[in-house]
Amino acid sequence: MPAAPFAERARFDARDKVLGRTQFTADIQLPDMLYAMSVPATIAKGRVRSVAIDEAMKIPGVVRVLTAKDFLAPIPPPRGATGMAAAPAVPTIVPDIAYRGAPVALVLAESIEAAVQGAEAIQATYAPSASFSPLITSEGAAREPSEPVKAGNAAEAMARAATIVEAEYECPAQHHNPIETLSTTAVWSGGRLTIYEATQGAQVVKANAAKSLALDPAIIDVKSSYIGGGFGQKGTAQRQTALVARAAMLTGRPVKLVMPRGQVFHNATFRPLSRHKIRIGADASGKMVAIEYDADHQQSRGGQFPPQYHESQPQMYGVADYDGTTANVRIDTQAPGYMRAPHPHPASFAFEGVVDELAYKLGKDPVAFRLAHDAKVDPVSGHPLSSRFLNECIAQGAERFGWSRRSQAPGSMVLADGTQVGFGVACGAYPAITSANIARLRVSADGSTRFAVSAHEMGQGIRTVIAQALLRQLDIDPAKLDLQIGDTSLVPQHLTAGSWGTASVLPAIDAVAAKMKAAIEELLAGRQIDGNLHRKLATVRRPYIEVEVSTLAPGQEERALLGLRAAGYALAGPEYPAFTTFSYIAHFAEVHVEPRTRRVRVPRVVSIADCGRVVSLRTAVSQVRGGVVWAIGSALREETEVDPRFGGWLNNDLADYVVPVNADIGDIDVSFIDRPDPLLNATGSKGLGEVAMVGAAGAVANAIYHATGRRLRRMPIRIEHLL
Amino acid sequence: MQPFTYTMPRTVAEAIAAFRQAGPDASYIAGGTSLYDVMKLDIVRPRHLIDVSAIEGLDAIETGRDQLRFGALARMSAVATDKTLLRDYPVLAESLWKAASQQLRNMATVGGNLLQRTRCLYFRNGTGNPSSVGLYPCNKREPGSGCAAIGGLDRGQAVLGQSDACTAVSPGDWPVALTAMDATVELAGPDGSRAMPIAELYRLPGDTPHLEFMLQPGEIITAIIVPKTPAGRRSTYHKIRDRESYAFALASAAVALDMDGDHVRRAHVALGGVGTRPWRARAAEQLLVGQRLTPESALTAGRAALEGARAGKHNGFKVDLGARTVADALMIAAERSA
Ligand SMILES: Cc1cc2nc3c(=O)[nH]c(=O)nc-3n(C[C@H](O)[C@H](O)[C@H](O)COP(=O)(O)OP(=O)(O)OC[C@H]3O[C@@H](n4cnc5c(N)ncnc54)[C@H](O)[C@@H]3O)c2cc1C
Repeated sequence: MPAAPFAERARFDARDKVLGRTQFTADIQLPDMLYAMSVPATIAKGRVRSVAIDEAMKIPGVVRVLTAKDFLAPIPPPRGATGMAAAPAVPTIVPDIAYRGAPVALVLAESIEAAVQGAEAIQATYAPSASFSPLITSEGAAREPSEPVKAGNAAEAMARAATIVEAEYECPAQHHNPIETLSTTAVWSGGRLTIYEATQGAQVVKANAAKSLALDPAIIDVKSSYIGGGFGQKGTAQRQTALVARAAMLTGRPVKLVMPRGQVFHNATFRPLSRHKIRIGADASGKMVAIEYDADHQQSRGGQFPPQYHESQPQMYGVADYDGTTANVRIDTQAPGYMRAPHPHPASFAFEGVVDELAYKLGKDPVAFRLAHDAKVDPVSGHPLSSRFLNECIAQGAERFGWSRRSQAPGSMVLADGTQVGFGVACGAYPAITSANIARLRVSADGSTRFAVSAHEMGQGIRTVIAQALLRQLDIDPAKLDLQIGDTSLVPQHLTAGSWGTASVLPAIDAVAAKMKAAIEELLAGRQIDGNLHRKLATVRRPYIEVEVSTLAPGQEERALLGLRAAGYALAGPEYPAFTTFSYIAHFAEVHVEPRTRRVRVPRVVSIADCGRVVSLRTAVSQVRGGVVWAIGSALREETEVDPRFGGWLNNDLADYVVPVNADIGDIDVSFIDRPDPLLNATGSKGLGEVAMVGAAGAVANAIYHATGRRLRRMPIRIEHLL
Repeated sequence: MQPFTYTMPRTVAEAIAAFRQAGPDASYIAGGTSLYDVMKLDIVRPRHLIDVSAIEGLDAIETGRDQLRFGALARMSAVATDKTLLRDYPVLAESLWKAASQQLRNMATVGGNLLQRTRCLYFRNGTGNPSSVGLYPCNKREPGSGCAAIGGLDRGQAVLGQSDACTAVSPGDWPVALTAMDATVELAGPDGSRAMPIAELYRLPGDTPHLEFMLQPGEIITAIIVPKTPAGRRSTYHKIRDRESYAFALASAAVALDMDGDHVRRAHVALGGVGTRPWRARAAEQLLVGQRLTPESALTAGRAALEGARAGKHNGFKVDLGARTVADALMIAAERSA
């Protein structure tokens, strides 16, 4: 039976965070620790000829400088490996420079000031390549088709369409910019390497660092207790990890690096520029019947982030005939990667724009048009959808937003001072993926509880979710509940991303709680003892009970656990053996465009999500607000820019990579359908963090069209596009 | 960043003496919000910092006499919230309140503000050091090395006052308001004290963009003087930017109006965000005199303010935006009661 609604609970770690007690990786201080500073390459492509370290070594406090010759050749991924385990080792310091900003040396010093001064004193010489390709339009950019996604026969269906719209949309390169930059501290002691890293994938780091350093992963522990923002940037192996670890091994001292933001722009993954050419055909009755969608994106020479822009779009409106192509365009840049709602965010910006264009062309209200396209099956797999309440999201959202006050004609809503008002709607979907999990629970007579499970806390509130679910099942003392997550020395850690954290931890909590209850029942053997579990244990003089469980996603085989242990990768869904599961959302945005200076303001957004059963209302609302804020940033402000004469990222700081501030954000009204999914897990919870953002940028752009009559098909939409 | 010595004199005379003793690698520092930033980016490398922030009596805000006087060490936040200014000279208060962030305004001084460095990306992110990463030629940083902004990503660059050597925008908001209001800067230096109209403080880049200010080595700004005017009440600082706070201007306008009914008796107009120095728009001011102020006449004045503008590849919109910003500012100011 699906779980009853959950009561609201304060954030598990709120008090510690407010008091500044929470230790993030970048806060770590260890005795005898060395500070590291990485030295960025100042060419866009080529080879390091020499690195002179003498001047740096003269600086008081500088202890050592690592260059390419201090690193071993990495070991290739094991044969037959899949998923993250198959990922090649992240390069260490190597003579080949694939992109501006790649590390050419690592300076170690007794203070951060000396490390920085030392890094400035490093003199590298280069043999630059005769040419490089900084943009997807540059000479030397290599287009490479990738996996298509097809359902039915789109060409045939398109041929029968009465109305067709076609348009090309573009989304720029963007960077995550969490407050905490990339940060690693490494300790080499007693034949073990301990890596403290701000990562969403402790097991991923463990597996990859082992390859980069040619070490047995069994001697590596990775710990990631609190992450100062991840958003996908900290999901895959990072460039600095093995550098810092190697430095610790060579010096025998703890080494810490907090990478400056300018270097993070160049060395971290990012959201690649993507292009979306979409045709949608509708029949004579105005029903969408065919979709053709060609997507490509910017890719590094060896990058693996796939251009899977057809992850969510086929699921939106029950169109049976869908033809999606994809391609990588390989250029000279660092590898792009996952950034919140990685593919559905740009894809929905484009797709929901074209749907809007079609609605206008057909003379239909964009809300009514979407409502007329409900779906029951996944057109790609043919499976039934386990739950889909998108129409409920749209209908409730329209009601709360006051959509009925809108008049259809673009430019028809104007305030007394000439400000143009626009209402826009756009929707999103995101796959409901589940990871296998391993968990260990110890309840003690002294009142304490320790729960080790696979999950990472990057501020999304996973600890709150875990506490919420665990405390509902077991009568234990919340004040002495220790949640041990992100630590590979306790249980294997899945890469926590893709909105699968909650749906993957809940089954483990159910299983571990059931096992604990059974163990206690057996221990008490029928005796009735009052009080909580600790009291019961104390009464029978049992110091503690510990139980361990492993859980699998629906239809997943036992060997998935091997993937979890090897590299933190054991995923299933959104296509499960007999059903498909997605989360859904509908966003409504109001924009105001000023009459003379053409500033765009977004006074309010209404967002209604279907993420199945909501486990923690407080953190769920916060997820959606954050997603909407970011989408507003993406729609109106964020773009990382490349000057093709130089390569690299020009606006590599927070002053010039423009994210929104409070003054840019108005009211964001969030609510949930909160109806459990009947098949995915016992709680009925799907995922939320990613879908929160999907479609919101499209709602803003569609509202701008409604306000001004200008269809702007490239993010970010800035003042100059509206003058 | 390289090591430096640090002294904290208590008087202006001590500070000047310390500067003279330290020689050409010395730099004054007040709030440090601009200087430390460019030091960390390896753009400037002073060997001796002379911290003027402990000099006594240099932070006074005087509005009660026949002119307004701001000690150079007055904090941006203090001047921005001064009650008299908010009522009688909103253009001055707003130019500070719309700059930087509260934390920065609490640190930064109104004297240091006049000498902040440009936000040109090629200037800032071009030394190749561990923070800036990029390596770009820049005549302002390294005379004769060239200008990467010309022919580059120049969306933020100036459309007024630029040369073949430099197109960097003068970044400050407060200097624009002071320029509109005919301010004077009081200086003390090794060769004595003097006063200088703010319009003379800023150089055009020409072929020496590394020379930005008409200050002699060792000169300290001690105060900023603004003559009182009835136009102050009908004034505003209007700032258009990529986000609503914590950003420099794409275009801004400082205006103050002396009105006779709905006709303009006298106008003060200066622009920010578009010029290589704070840009006084005399042509626009003259055009307005005797005119009835309407959205149309305001826009005509705005267009006049941008006369002679030249755009690069991506900043053409600033010409139009600048004119519209002036027009909006004039209408906002006119609605305020005298
Ligand atoms: C993130 C950020 C955002 C910002 N946004 C804005 C904005 O939107 N608008 C805006 O206008 N400004 C903005 N600023 C700039 C800010 O206003 C200036 O940094 C500040 O006003 C400088 O004052 P300070 O006292 O800190 O100067 P300092 O950094 O101490 O000094 C700056 C310069 O002035 C010299 N100096 C200082 N005092 C004196 C003196 N009395 N006599 C002679 N020389 C002196 C120093 O030698 C140095 O060269 C921003 C700054 C930052 C860091």
